[in-house]
Amino acid sequence: MSDPSYLLVLIPLLPLVSAVLTGLFGPRFLRGLSHLPTWAAAIGSCLITVLLLNGLLLTNDPSGRPIFGVDIFTWFRVLSRSPLGGPFNVSFSFEADTLSLAMLLAITFVGSWIAIYTAGYMRGEPGYPRYFAVMSLFLFSMTGLVLANNFLVLYAFWEGVGLCSYLLVGFWFHKPAAAAAARKAFLVTRLGDAGLILGIMLLWAKFGHSFDFQSVFTVARQEPSSPYLLPACLLLFCGAIGKSAQFPLHVWLPDAMEGPTPASALIHAATMVTAGVYLLARCTPLFVLVPEAQLVVAVIGGLTALLAALIALTQTDLKRVLAYSTVSQLGFMFLGLGAGLRHEAIAVFAVSAAIFHLFTHAFFKALLFLGAGSVMHAMGHIIDMRRFSGLRRVMPITHFSFACGALALAGLIPFSGFWSKDQILEALELATQHSESYGPIYHGLFAVAVFTAGLTAFYTFRAYFKTFWGETRVPEEALLHHGNGHSDGHDDDSGHGHHHADLHFTHDQAPVSIVPPEGRSFESPPVMTIPLIILAGGSVLVGLVLEATTHWFSGLLAVSMAFQTIQPPYPEHHLNWVLIGLSTASALFGIGVAAYLYLVRPDIPVKLATNLRWAYDLSYHRFRFDELYTALVVRPLEGLAVLSRFFDSVIDGIVNLIGWTPRAFGVLLRPIQNGLVQYYGLFMMVFLTALIAVVVLWGRQ
Amino acid sequence: MLDHLPTMLLVMLGLPVAAAVVVAAAGARVPSAARAIALLAVVLNLIVTAFVVKDVAPVLHERNSQIEKIAGDNRIRTFEPIGVPGSPDGRAPTQWSLLAIPVSSTGFSPAMISFYLGVDGLNLWLIALTNFLMLPSVLISWTTIRERANEYYAWLLILQTGMLGVFLAFDVVLFYVFFELTLVPLFFVIGIWGGPARREAARKFFLFTLAGSLITLLGLVGLVVAIHFKTGELTFAIPRLVELMQLQLRVPDTESIEFWRTVQLVCFLAMSLGFAVKVPLFPVHTWLPLAHVEAPTAGSVLLAGVLLKLGTYAFVRLCLPLVPDAVISVGVPLIGTLAAVGVIYGSLCAFSQRDIKKMVAYSSVAHLGFCMLGIFALNTVGLTGGLLQMINHGLSTGGLFLLVGMLYDRYHTRMMDDYSGVAARLKLLAIAMVIICLSSVGMPFLNGFIGEMLILAGVMDMPIGLGAFILAAVGAAGLVLGAWYLFTMLRRVFFGPLNLPHHDPNQGPVSDLTLRELATIVPVIAACLYIGLYPQPMIATTQRDVALIADIVQTRQNLRLPMDKLALAAQPENPIR
Repeated sequence: MSDPSYLLVLIPLLPLVSAVLTGLFGPRFLRGLSHLPTWAAAIGSCLITVLLLNGLLLTNDPSGRPIFGVDIFTWFRVLSRSPLGGPFNVSFSFEADTLSLAMLLAITFVGSWIAIYTAGYMRGEPGYPRYFAVMSLFLFSMTGLVLANNFLVLYAFWEGVGLCSYLLVGFWFHKPAAAAAARKAFLVTRLGDAGLILGIMLLWAKFGHSFDFQSVFTVARQEPSSPYLLPACLLLFCGAIGKSAQFPLHVWLPDAMEGPTPASALIHAATMVTAGVYLLARCTPLFVLVPEAQLVVAVIGGLTALLAALIALTQTDLKRVLAYSTVSQLGFMFLGLGAGLRHEAIAVFAVSAAIFHLFTHAFFKALLFLGAGSVMHAMGHIIDMRRFSGLRRVMPITHFSFACGALALAGLIPFSGFWSKDQILEALELATQHSESYGPIYHGLFAVAVFTAGLTAFYTFRAYFKTFWGETRVPEEALLHHGNGHSDGHDDDSGHGHHHADLHFTHDQAPVSIVPPEGRSFESPPVMTIPLIILAGGSVLVGLVLEATTHWFSGLLAVSMAFQTIQPPYPEHHLNWVLIGLSTASALFGIGVAAYLYLVRPDIPVKLATNLRWAYDLSYHRFRFDELYTALVVRPLEGLAVLSRFFDSVIDGIVNLIGWTPRAFGVLLRPIQNGLVQYYGLFMMVFLTALIAVVVLWGRQ
Repeated sequence: MLDHLPTMLLVMLGLPVAAAVVVAAAGARVPSAARAIALLAVVLNLIVTAFVVKDVAPVLHERNSQIEKIAGDNRIRTFEPIGVPGSPDGRAPTQWSLLAIPVSSTGFSPAMISFYLGVDGLNLWLIALTNFLMLPSVLISWTTIRERANEYYAWLLILQTGMLGVFLAFDVVLFYVFFELTLVPLFFVIGIWGGPARREAARKFFLFTLAGSLITLLGLVGLVVAIHFKTGELTFAIPRLVELMQLQLRVPDTESIEFWRTVQLVCFLAMSLGFAVKVPLFPVHTWLPLAHVEAPTAGSVLLAGVLLKLGTYAFVRLCLPLVPDAVISVGVPLIGTLAAVGVIYGSLCAFSQRDIKKMVAYSSVAHLGFCMLGIFALNTVGLTGGLLQMINHGLSTGGLFLLVGMLYDRYHTRMMDDYSGVAARLKLLAIAMVIICLSSVGMPFLNGFIGEMLILAGVMDMPIGLGAFILAAVGAAGLVLGAWYLFTMLRRVFFGPLNLPHHDPNQGPVSDLTLRELATIVPVIAACLYIGLYPQPMIATTQRDVALIADIVQTRQNLRLPMDKLALAAQPENPIR
């Protein structure tokens, strides 16, 4: 379009330049200042996004669907024409509609504050420059992902995001748990990615040999009954399942908490895991054509939301509670995406709701993770909730901001999480009314969503009370490590983290922790608390300001290209008081139960855990998914690998046997064989002579 | 500039041999002289290659205007090599005869085995790859090869000429001679400078590939003879053979059709056997792991990087255009299945290895299977991907072997169990290893991605219904499995707590990559990045010849369609019905 389109390139370019600069010069020259390029890039990208968003809203585009686009270069292209096969053209081009810009806003705004926070959190870490180089690379990949205007460029950035996640989770690569978690994250998401790329290729092969979103959607709309549509949609969803940690590929996300906490905040809460949600929102024009695919999305989403919430109930590692809450909230988003039925207005409403939840979730989940990081930072890198409590007095700012995040996550009115969750519930309700044949299933999903909302409030406040209320106790490590660099703190793996360590503790029975000296503050430095305060403000206000009172966000998304081929009569947004009552009641009930159990009668949870040991264990051990996968997938595959190796020696044996036959002749012919190469040369000459003789003689006849 | 092209090709082919003679004559006393001369020769050849690419690429780019016409206009087309030495304009067939054959009762047709060399879109980048990989091959041997160093470098250089010859040859017999010639130097490189089981490895490699290629020779010659029998023209020039073959296949005579069906089938099977051993396709791959493990690093690099491509290249250059019907009827189901099995099987075998080098060796089986899938997709996208993947595999697997060699040079073991947390000690080596692994698993913006995407798309576009989807799914599974074994290796060897094998302190402290080693690996990484970021100039040079092959095969494919489908296809043009 016009000039500002070229600003689009800067959004991913700034982080890329920062990544290259930090990667090349960080260890030698920048050292402790390595965060500066990342800060500049993140904030710069954020400002450009705001600028573009502003420009976009001002544009009076005649189509009513404002968009910025820029074509950078032809990445790779194979000219072709039937019957030689379809053409393959990947042009490296970016396009930003309102959906992309909304995503960019969340990524760069939250990303900037996380970058600022990280400088405090990672101070003194040996790999400080490396961390910021990868973080910039991540921002590059993530912004590129949402700006891509075709499937293959999206896939490229998608993989790039996976790589950055690998590098960040494995940041402390000398820790076996971190190295294992990084590999697991990469492989599990790549499993989903394999589905995604197959889906993309299927779309390419069957819907007009193009990768461009709009042209694929146009062709698909002309063939709504194509038998390839359902498999293609499900394959795309496979990618989303992997990246967004949905059941059954959710197992990598909690392990990914082995990475530094700001990385968890950025990647595993606010942005990367939302890539799957974004993908499905982007492909709305495809999914509205296949209600069955939508049903699968909704069911997987509901199942994941419930399952993850159940697991989060008993986790003792604060970061893991948050990790499972992320999985659960992502499930909510997929519930929303899956509720966008063939009815076009509902699709717009449902998808907007999911994206809005993504948006608010980015704020409060980043806040919660950063809060947890602040706790971890202060507690000498202990994050096991059994080893500290009552921190509200010694970490007032962290406590206050964490409380804001917890209320938003619990979905209490008027915090931002409430508004987005409410929209998803409403979308589900609409789906129950309008679904042609799957009404009852959507009823069930609605019930699941409400129930999960209650569970969410409960486990969030369980964590909150356990951490910030009660008698003030801190682990010994907090006093040892506080203030003298953290590198040694990371080295020992004490208490926190991976599941094997958990097994050494008996349930809810805390190992050594002590009462800190009077008047001792554990609050983190301002470079960490200011981002907390800002994000807390966002968690409180985003829902109220951007949607509930102004409908700005849904208005923005309504003109997204994702809905262009749908052209909806956009419904008047109204407040559904029954729903509001229902969701508020379930949230309050959850919080109330948590308050009663952990503030008033802390003996009950212990009794419950012992009496309902099987249920407790099931939840505590995450429904034993890891063991299940190890037994059903990993071990068989490894067995197959060993079998293959054995089989290979069998083939080799057979081949050797065949190889023996000439050698047996060789023994007979040994007198005339004085060396292998001469023999070979001779053989070749004889053969050639004979051949030519035959040819010549044949020709003479 | 094109006037000098034939000379440059001759220089390129001859320089290594000349250098080999000098090196061999230099004597064993001064190994430093031998390696210096070898390095000089390799660098000079690389410069010549750069000029060749610079001259040839624009010509090939121009040809792309033909592509639009190629699809289905029923013209007979064939390879048009440029820079042909011994031809008046560098494009016509060469006049240089190796062996003239007086033929025919009706007079003398000018039949000869000719010294027919040339460049086109199919071989340009393989030639470049060969000369490119020679540089790290010489550099990595710099300090490790001390015994009989002059012989070693002489054999390497002769190997270079052999490999270049195969790619450059446009005469069947010349092709075959070079194809076999590559065996001899590699046999000695493995057999003299290899590991403990080098003799067995060398013998097995030699006999295996020799046996395969002798049968290939039968197939090739059989085809030449059959064409001679039918047309009265005896030629060994590949472009002419391709033309004649297309003409013959259009003869609408039942007897002729029957004849060619049988001949194609027999010749295809014979030819593919030797090529399949070279590729190597499952189940004739078992020579490869042993040869790789025992070979010195440079041997492994060239074996995986270039020699395996002789097989895939031969499929593209000879099988597809010469016996298209057999390729469609037997090749796609047979080779497609074997390649798909190879992808999975090679990955599984790679995973279960404890020796890093053996793991890389098996990964070649998987990657080359992937490459073959692309080639046998028989459409332009898949073929382009297959061609590109040949280059990509050469770079990434070559890089892996180089890095494993560097690790081995330091600690003298290749067992994964002996290592842990290497990244903490050898940072640059670890970074290089991670990048090359990423290239190998097809990370975007690195080379592997481009080829893999094209192959997947090409396979998905095959007109074989569900089969196409299954093959594509196998390919995608291969991508996951590839990441599985490589990232498991990374975790075991490079990450985790630091635990290194015993190192003899008398040999001095273990240092990170030296300047020489950086000069070895950095160009490879740079090439990976370049192809990943901007592959289009490279792809564009191949397009005309890829379209040509796809057209030759697809013309036959369309004839095989049932009549009703053809009628359906023709309907848009004839709306009357």
